[in-house]
Amino acid sequence: MKKRLYETDEAIVEGIRNDEDAALAQLYRLYFPVISYFILSNSGTDDEAKDIYQEAVIVFYEKIKAGRLELSCQIKTYLYSVCRRLWLKRLAEKGRFASKLDDSENFVSVEEDIPYHEEQEHQFNVMTEALEQVGEPCRSLLEDFYIRLQNMQDITDKFGYVNTDTAKNQKYKCLQRLKKLFFSTYKPEV
Amino acid sequence: MLEYRAYEQIERYLNGNMAPEEQASFEALLHNDARLNRQVLEHRQLLQTLQKYGQRQLLKNKLNRLHADMQSETVPATRETATAGWRVFINQHAQTMAVAASVSLLSIFGTLWSVQQLKAPVQQQTVRYVELRREVERLKKAQTEIINGINDASKPATPRSATFSGTGFAISADGYLVTNSHVIEGGDSIYIENKSGLKYKVNEIYRDQIHDLSILKIEDPSFSGFGKLPYTFKTAESDLGEHVYTLGYPREDIVFGEGSLSSTSGFEGDTTSYQISIPLNPGNSGGPLFDDKGNLIGVISGKQAGQEGAAFAIKSAYLMQMVEELPETTSLAPMSLPKNNTLAGNPRPQQLKKLKDYVFVVKVYN
Repeated sequence: MKKRLYETDEAIVEGIRNDEDAALAQLYRLYFPVISYFILSNSGTDDEAKDIYQEAVIVFYEKIKAGRLELSCQIKTYLYSVCRRLWLKRLAEKGRFASKLDDSENFVSVEEDIPYHEEQEHQFNVMTEALEQVGEPCRSLLEDFYIRLQNMQDITDKFGYVNTDTAKNQKYKCLQRLKKLFFSTYKPEV
Repeated sequence: MLEYRAYEQIERYLNGNMAPEEQASFEALLHNDARLNRQVLEHRQLLQTLQKYGQRQLLKNKLNRLHADMQSETVPATRETATAGWRVFINQHAQTMAVAASVSLLSIFGTLWSVQQLKAPVQQQTVRYVELRREVERLKKAQTEIINGINDASKPATPRSATFSGTGFAISADGYLVTNSHVIEGGDSIYIENKSGLKYKVNEIYRDQIHDLSILKIEDPSFSGFGKLPYTFKTAESDLGEHVYTLGYPREDIVFGEGSLSSTSGFEGDTTSYQISIPLNPGNSGGPLFDDKGNLIGVISGKQAGQEGAAFAIKSAYLMQMVEELPETTSLAPMSLPKNNTLAGNPRPQQLKKLKDYVFVVKVYN
């Protein structure tokens, strides 16, 4: 069994900031029961609880990573607040307006974090769609180069191109298509 | 093909791979060419989103794995999280708990201690019984011994002073005396001495441990008899409030003490003794207790510590009982106890004048 390494909220935050998987794992295990209980007692399912909880953890995680975290309350309270907000929205989308949530914890206002997160979610959804439409091998090629940051030579070998120039040319074409697909649905607020 | 070049250039620009001059000219170009500028912004956004998207996918995979892990070990996990949660709780609140624990311990023991303090004097009043044997010049002796040891080790030993002393009195003309057992406890030679300077060596011939009484017999060849004793022994119980007095040796000289019989039972309800209101000191133990008429009604035995005027004397009935038992248990001839009281009716000083020759200081050496 894993030993508990992080005893305080600060230690967990510090651990996540330093890319320690154990910190994230502990955080995840520690607060899932609270959120799960909340979602289940407000007409949610196990899967929904998992979705909402993971989204909240992502918000929290990215906030730490971006260095924007100023935690004025316990992690538990923060996560609960985010989940609460997300769950309200989810309920509204499902057409079920909860007149009153059955709160099991205190919560704080997280209004400034949510819009940013939603904007990101929107971007990623568009990106997912665009990547799907680009199709293979373009998708893998782009992911290998831009996400997994492999060098051109490896990619050339992997996809069986004659030389790196061909690979580069191919990559260019793929990116061109992705760009068109992406910006056809996503309008930046510039 | 031109577009392809432009892409290469934009990417190099975004990655910061351009040489300074090239970068400067490219930035100038950007400034003038709105279309190129828009392309660069778009390109940057696309790549940033793509990268973030990748990171997000990784994170999601990680969380899904965590979730799966957690689910797979549900049964042990719940117990584990429970105990681990408990441990984390302990660790987080250890300091607070330590402070709370020490405060409560402190208050518990503080309370116990103060209750003890309040109870202590009461206990002293009811429990402590002090035997009035005198430890003669113990300190002084110890001190002089030290000084002697330092100054002159070869100096011949000075006559030893008694270790303990008490009081005793004659009960028959042929040399029998009574004192408390505790007075002569642990001694190996016992001497008696009275006001007129007579000094005899005595032996303990009988001991009644229960009533704390001992009978002594004078062994000295020079002893020829006390003569007729002026007092008699009373076997009936004396009455409450009767005037009583005693003679004893709480110091080197004989001391008279007077009071009244304040209770017919003794320490903690002991029916074999009286409570008397005579101020007594160590050394009075074994002294005779007389009533107004000069009858011996008891033997002084002790007092209660911490309470004024509560002294105790063993009733004379038990002394008589012991004297009667004597021929049965030992080979001694029955004692001839005095039968006439010559004190009755005399004023107190006259009584004392006659009595003092029959009251001895008992010196115990060991």
